Amino acid sequence: MADRNESFEANDFGWLVAMSILFFVLVAVGFWREFSTGWGSYQREFPELLGHYGKTEEARNFRPGIRQIWIPKIGVTDRCITCHLGYEWSSVLPGTIAEPLKPHPMNDLLAKHEFARFGCTPCHGGDGSATTVAGAHQGGKGWDDPMLSRALAARNGITMNEMIQMRCNFCHRHDAATPGMEEINLAKQLFKKKKCVVCHVVEGRGGASGAELTYEGDRSPELLNFAHVHGDRTMFNWNVQHLTQASVVSPGTQMPDFNFQPDESRALTLLLLSWRRLSYPPEYVPDPEVAAAAMQPSPASTVSPAPIATPIAR
Amino acid sequence: MGDKVKALWRKTSWAWSPESERESSEAIVKNFWLHWFPAKVSRASMDWNYSFWLGTASAALLLILTITGVMLMFFYVPSTERAYGSIKDLEYAVSFGRLLRNQHRWAAEGMVAVVYIHMARVFLTGAYRGTRAINWVVGVILFLSTLFLSFTGYLLPWDQLAFWAITVGTSIAKQAPVVGPTIQFLLLGGHEIGQQTLLRFYVLHVFFLPVFVWVLFAYHMWRVRKDGGLAAIERVRNERAMVPKATPKTKSYSLFGITPGTSVQVMSSTGLEESDQVFSSPNMSRRIALVFLVVFNLTLLAALLFNAPLEGLANPSVTPNPAKAPWYFVWLQELVASTTVRMGGFTVSGALLGGILLPGFLLGVLTLWPWLDRSPLRTEGRWLAPERRRQNATFAVATLVIILLIMVGVYLRGPYWRIYWPGQARPEMPRLY
Repeated sequence: MADRNESFEANDFGWLVAMSILFFVLVAVGFWREFSTGWGSYQREFPELLGHYGKTEEARNFRPGIRQIWIPKIGVTDRCITCHLGYEWSSVLPGTIAEPLKPHPMNDLLAKHEFARFGCTPCHGGDGSATTVAGAHQGGKGWDDPMLSRALAARNGITMNEMIQMRCNFCHRHDAATPGMEEINLAKQLFKKKKCVVCHVVEGRGGASGAELTYEGDRSPELLNFAHVHGDRTMFNWNVQHLTQASVVSPGTQMPDFNFQPDESRALTLLLLSWRRLSYPPEYVPDPEVAAAAMQPSPASTVSPAPIATPIAR
Repeated sequence: MGDKVKALWRKTSWAWSPESERESSEAIVKNFWLHWFPAKVSRASMDWNYSFWLGTASAALLLILTITGVMLMFFYVPSTERAYGSIKDLEYAVSFGRLLRNQHRWAAEGMVAVVYIHMARVFLTGAYRGTRAINWVVGVILFLSTLFLSFTGYLLPWDQLAFWAITVGTSIAKQAPVVGPTIQFLLLGGHEIGQQTLLRFYVLHVFFLPVFVWVLFAYHMWRVRKDGGLAAIERVRNERAMVPKATPKTKSYSLFGITPGTSVQVMSSTGLEESDQVFSSPNMSRRIALVFLVVFNLTLLAALLFNAPLEGLANPSVTPNPAKAPWYFVWLQELVASTTVRMGGFTVSGALLGGILLPGFLLGVLTLWPWLDRSPLRTEGRWLAPERRRQNATFAVATLVIILLIMVGVYLRGPYWRIYWPGQARPEMPRLY
């Protein structure tokens, strides 16, 4: 009887030991993975950098860990600053430092849109909750709002500054014109000049012969017909070509060919893509009249030393 | 040296040592944890090659899912506004959050597979005869509950994958005759997926279904014991009955004194012998610990190697192309798509035939099979008995067809629900910019 029991013990006990060892190995791998994060190395580097530029006190007090700008009322959880540690140190660190420790350039726009009130993603896009480079910059599968980068802007034939103006218009939608948003200002002028609302409904007003444009930026790119679009299969590219020559992109359409200049159609595309279903609280939405007043050249403009608004000269 | 270590271990960990086999078996019966199992278990049931310990593996997965699930509940918020964000937090900010979610995900998908393979084992060994038929039906209900548990959990991340998989799944349920729309309405808590749906799926997923499965699992186990253990012992019993035993040394008495020949008992003895059995503890308890450890290691390994999918935030106005049901329902979606007939402007939806009638028929036959199986009882507890060749082949073919349909749905179906062979380029889906 006893030796028969032994046969199970002989086989199973060895496996039990092997599996226990494997268990500890796997748990060890789990711990190693947890603590070997990509941002860890930047956070080891950053206090040294601070110390190098004379901020020894701050360097000593630096505590590693995930950092975030959390603004629940606009749905922002931006962990970008876990890696981009130098973002608010432009007064100390030079702008020549490589990313991600490079400080954010300080300008009047930033003075009006403080990090603590806006975070990062409202202007830059991307997935603020992510703590990996790919996850934050591109977002995962099905994330259609990647971070606006120079490369992405260049692929669409514009600069990053111009592309970011699209996101400015999330809040500045009702400004007739806004200092610093030349592209969108141009588009708003054209939109008015070409009387788009004769055919298109925007915010409840306009003619019904064209598609409603109130939330044009939320439309799925898959619903568009790319058969007559050359180049990238992007909603941006579709709009650029459609605005210029609607009869080519959508044969049989009632929309006239406006034959815009390339920069004009790109500006209008940015405007259309900025119209999204967003809910910013009232204190975030600027007063359109204030923006309009700021656009007027007045003797009081000496208050702001650097002209942040270049007049529309097109 | 080994004996000394063993003696030291006994001294430090045991306050008492059994004097006899009776005492040792009583010690087990009196222990809360060990009394789940009978004092002795047959060698036939311990055989790896009979059961592959798939039922134990399913139980291990259920335990892993319960533990990881309770841990996930500390972070997850069942609100359409915060669910997705809380999953992102788990992925990126919570210590071991990603590992935890991965393990829960892979254990859940593994449980669907393992429970089915366990059921296939029971079918192919004909282990549902006699009183075991009740446990077969209980098993079918447990399998369906596992599917439903997995399905309700699928929605919780509130990403595009979740949202549209549940849209596909509940739209198929809607096609059931008479009760379909009511079922869909009850599941969704309305006519479309929203906050009510998320809350319903959450409550079902974290409370009602797990409690139901645990209770039914306990009953499943209790029935295994009341049915006398695994059906493997029936094979031993049957073999024993056919082999005449050596004449017992005792004399047989009849009314007329000593009778010649063997006694009646010799041929009818079908019980298990002492030599057929081993003590449950430590043999079975050690084996169960081993199976649990293997399953835990496998799920942990999967969690380390593969990330659970998470797509963009659920968007009711943008349907992914293609939208797929969870993989274990993709064969239904495949059937629905292939039984949908288009004639001119008319479309006859395949949802009723492919989504309801055919799977309903399969499920009905599966549930009632113990009463439909007319093969001789001696096939019980035997792998691929020749007398059951035809039904085993039918079961295997049905399973293979379902697996094939799942493979087609998961791997070959691409945009516009077209077939794309491996290596064949899929159309690039338009992007925003």
